[in-house]
Amino acid sequence: MKKGDILAGLDAGHVYTKAVIMRGQEILGHGMEPTGFDVVAAAQIALYRALDNVGISRGELAGIVATGIFREMMKVPPLGITRTVADHVADAKGALFLSKHSRTVIVIGGNIHKAIRYDQNGNTLDVIQNDKCADGLGIFYMTMAKAFGVSEQELSELALESTKNVPIAIQCALSAESDAIDLMCQGVDIADVADAISRFMAERVAAMCTTISLEKEIVVAGGLAKSKVLIKHLTSLIKQDVYVLKLPEYLGAIGAVISYEDGK
Amino acid sequence: MSKKGSGTIIERFRSITENPHEYAKSLQREGHLLAGYMCTHVPEEILYAAGIVPVRILTSHVSQAMTRSYIHETYCSFSHDCAYQGLAHNYDFLDLIVTSSSCIHMGEAFNVWVRFAGFQGKSFLIPYPHIIETKPAAAFMAESFGEFKQFLEKFAKRSIAGEDIERAIKVYNRTRRLLKRLWEFLRRDHPPITGPEVAMVTLASQVMDKQECNQMIEQLIRSLEGEPGKAPSGVRLMVTGGACDDLGIFDLMEHLNHSANLIFIDSCTAARYFWFEVPEGRPHQLQAIAEGYIGRIPCPAKDNVPGTGEKKRFRFIQQFIEDFKPDGVVFLYQRFCSPQPMDVVALKPILDRLGIPSTELELDTTLPITQFRTQLEALVEIIRQVTP
Amino acid sequence: MTEYASMNERIDWKRTKRIVAGVDIGAVNSRAVILLDGQPGALSEVATRRPKESALTAIGGALAKNHLKLENIHYIVATGRGRTQVPFARETISEIACGAAGAVHIWGPSVRTVLDAGGQGCKVIHCTEKGRATAFLWNDKCAAGIGRSMETFADLVKKEVTEIGNIAFQSDKFTKLSDFCAVYAQSEALDLIRSKAPIEQVIAAYHYAMARRISTLVARSGVKKDFVIIGGLARNPGIVDWLERILKVSRLTHKREWDPALTTALGAALFADASYRRQQFDTSDAAR
Repeated sequence: MKKGDILAGLDAGHVYTKAVIMRGQEILGHGMEPTGFDVVAAAQIALYRALDNVGISRGELAGIVATGIFREMMKVPPLGITRTVADHVADAKGALFLSKHSRTVIVIGGNIHKAIRYDQNGNTLDVIQNDKCADGLGIFYMTMAKAFGVSEQELSELALESTKNVPIAIQCALSAESDAIDLMCQGVDIADVADAISRFMAERVAAMCTTISLEKEIVVAGGLAKSKVLIKHLTSLIKQDVYVLKLPEYLGAIGAVISYEDGK
Repeated sequence: MSKKGSGTIIERFRSITENPHEYAKSLQREGHLLAGYMCTHVPEEILYAAGIVPVRILTSHVSQAMTRSYIHETYCSFSHDCAYQGLAHNYDFLDLIVTSSSCIHMGEAFNVWVRFAGFQGKSFLIPYPHIIETKPAAAFMAESFGEFKQFLEKFAKRSIAGEDIERAIKVYNRTRRLLKRLWEFLRRDHPPITGPEVAMVTLASQVMDKQECNQMIEQLIRSLEGEPGKAPSGVRLMVTGGACDDLGIFDLMEHLNHSANLIFIDSCTAARYFWFEVPEGRPHQLQAIAEGYIGRIPCPAKDNVPGTGEKKRFRFIQQFIEDFKPDGVVFLYQRFCSPQPMDVVALKPILDRLGIPSTELELDTTLPITQFRTQLEALVEIIRQVTP
Repeated sequence: MTEYASMNERIDWKRTKRIVAGVDIGAVNSRAVILLDGQPGALSEVATRRPKESALTAIGGALAKNHLKLENIHYIVATGRGRTQVPFARETISEIACGAAGAVHIWGPSVRTVLDAGGQGCKVIHCTEKGRATAFLWNDKCAAGIGRSMETFADLVKKEVTEIGNIAFQSDKFTKLSDFCAVYAQSEALDLIRSKAPIEQVIAAYHYAMARRISTLVARSGVKKDFVIIGGLARNPGIVDWLERILKVSRLTHKREWDPALTTALGAALFADASYRRQQFDTSDAAR
């Protein structure tokens, strides 16, 4: 493969499958599709969306690198995966690429959240992932937005308007959901409930982070990184500044390409 | 309705329950040493005899997940909250913390304070038997209390004489008798004080210097004896269960869609804290304390008569039902507590036989008012036989 | 997500003496039942968003069909989680009492045990032949959210929540999932999907796990026949079928005229009817 080759990165997660098109260090375009239960189909759609975005055809790709929890499932025709890369490898390499001074990345995704510490070359030094009771923060967030009849973006915006800190159960998504409904039925303002929900998620991520040493600069990625209120709460809980990466959902896909490039 | 003398005293108690740290620090400023205790199986009299004021460590109801790295997710929120307060340095002003071996959840919260919150060297764990209804238990306890006394003498740098302990026993017995009299008001159809207020005073007593507390309760009782009854009586509800410092629940019980009154609470933050006495005037005070504490209404973690498997607590509960005549019973216990719900399994059939409806409320860090309101209102509706 | 309103065309509301309503503001759905002289006049169901608004939307849906206005209703009883947020309700009554009353009205005086399997929680209600609740058991916190988790699960497998119940029927062979908690079950279901288990099997597995979770509550409370299932999950044949098999108790089948999910709202309407009649009787008494 020559320098200047166009590569695609695919990251098949529980909720979304993401595709990114890169040429060397340049990100040309991206696209995503809900994973559903047909990973290959979702990957195809995401890939073609990204290709459309860039305006090139499938044939112009020199290779496709896959990562994500369902990466093994993508190793079938017609996808034609060149290589698979483990999640944490892709995440670490991708984070370093997107932020040269970073040494820790916290990824908050649909079903999994994790924290990875890496060295100046993007080699993983330590990884931690959520336990079952804290599973699916992204899924939980989507469920709550739907329950209140708002979009995920709106839920985050509502939370920022909160004027009161309302306590919410922290044990797990179930208890948080139970309390959120209870609060709504007590007549608590939806903005305060939205904020409590965001605080619950930040608390679970922060609790996970206590079992790994966070080295500066700390960056955040994953779909939920787009929530300003979540970042606000996370920052105050871990008592450190964090930076949200550009294209936070695409960390894995980008990192897959980068680690492939690195490996050559 | 104007709040007379009793009103002011009640408000003073309430202020202490809302600002326990300030109150504790004020005691320190007067020169007292303070010991925090996490379980009522701690023989407070011995601390008091050493000139140390025991203050109960209660919860802050802050929802936080940080303690999940220290103690297991499925430990009760009471223990998580207590652990959190240690880690958050809310109680750094305490000179000492003490607990007795009781349930594992509170035991782990205690460990967190010792290992991670800076209380190494300022802590003591009193070995306390779980099977209390046996001959060796009393001797074991007396010996254990003896070791505790020795530790305190070194810690407080003073000796503790038998008379000191005897004096402390008398003070504490006075508190117990006074609190009993306060709860007895609720047997009336129109008591001059409400159940939630009595619960609040009882909670305050657990964080106060008992001599000051006794003075205030005496004043309160004198005031109440001259006062007329309060609001009309509704359905009589009795609470039984585990530690609950959430006074909001008791207030909720008296603000439902139908009138209901809280008339008794069997929990270690209420009746079980004081419904016993330590024998006075004995030559061996530590043995007397052991005997007194064995005679308590048992916590389900320590209630198992060997051989018969009988539960002593149930006899007390049946007596309370006879004396206080509840129309309904509310089981109140922490989510993830093991001993409490096990007692419920055996208690419910007894209540069914007595024809007393009941419901179970699961406590957690937060107070799910809507859900609890529904369960309580449903219970009251059942008692009132509400039909279309 | 089904939202609907329907009306009984045969009754002329202008000729009726008593117009009452029951609204059940649940965690997931809000429902309204309007009774005209004690007969079903209109029904409606909407998804619950903010309880106060959803209450208005629910009653509005039922009213619109009849061209009635809120002022035309003589008495309204609110029940369900959001009942304290219903500004136009005269009275609030727990969903326990309302569920019992509604169930006996629909299925008759032989009913003794009612399982209300709803969106956020489950309750088992014991009642008399007159529909009076005598005891109930509420779900423990770890069993919360089963109904809503069905919606989330349906979204994750990209099916409609109304079809997954039937799909669950199709497989008797499936890997068992954790049946203690919906979060665990969902997590394991996603793992199953990852290991390429057929989607129908995963759906069946999830239904079985959730039915088992609900069944422990019912078993703890005890079942005295006749047994009925009400609430949103009563519409899910997968759950209902598995419950009967696990509990080894058969329930009375759903009535054609009454959606079991409306039972509690109906119960509230019955209470409204009775309260209004008592009120009329008292005032006519006073007038003499």
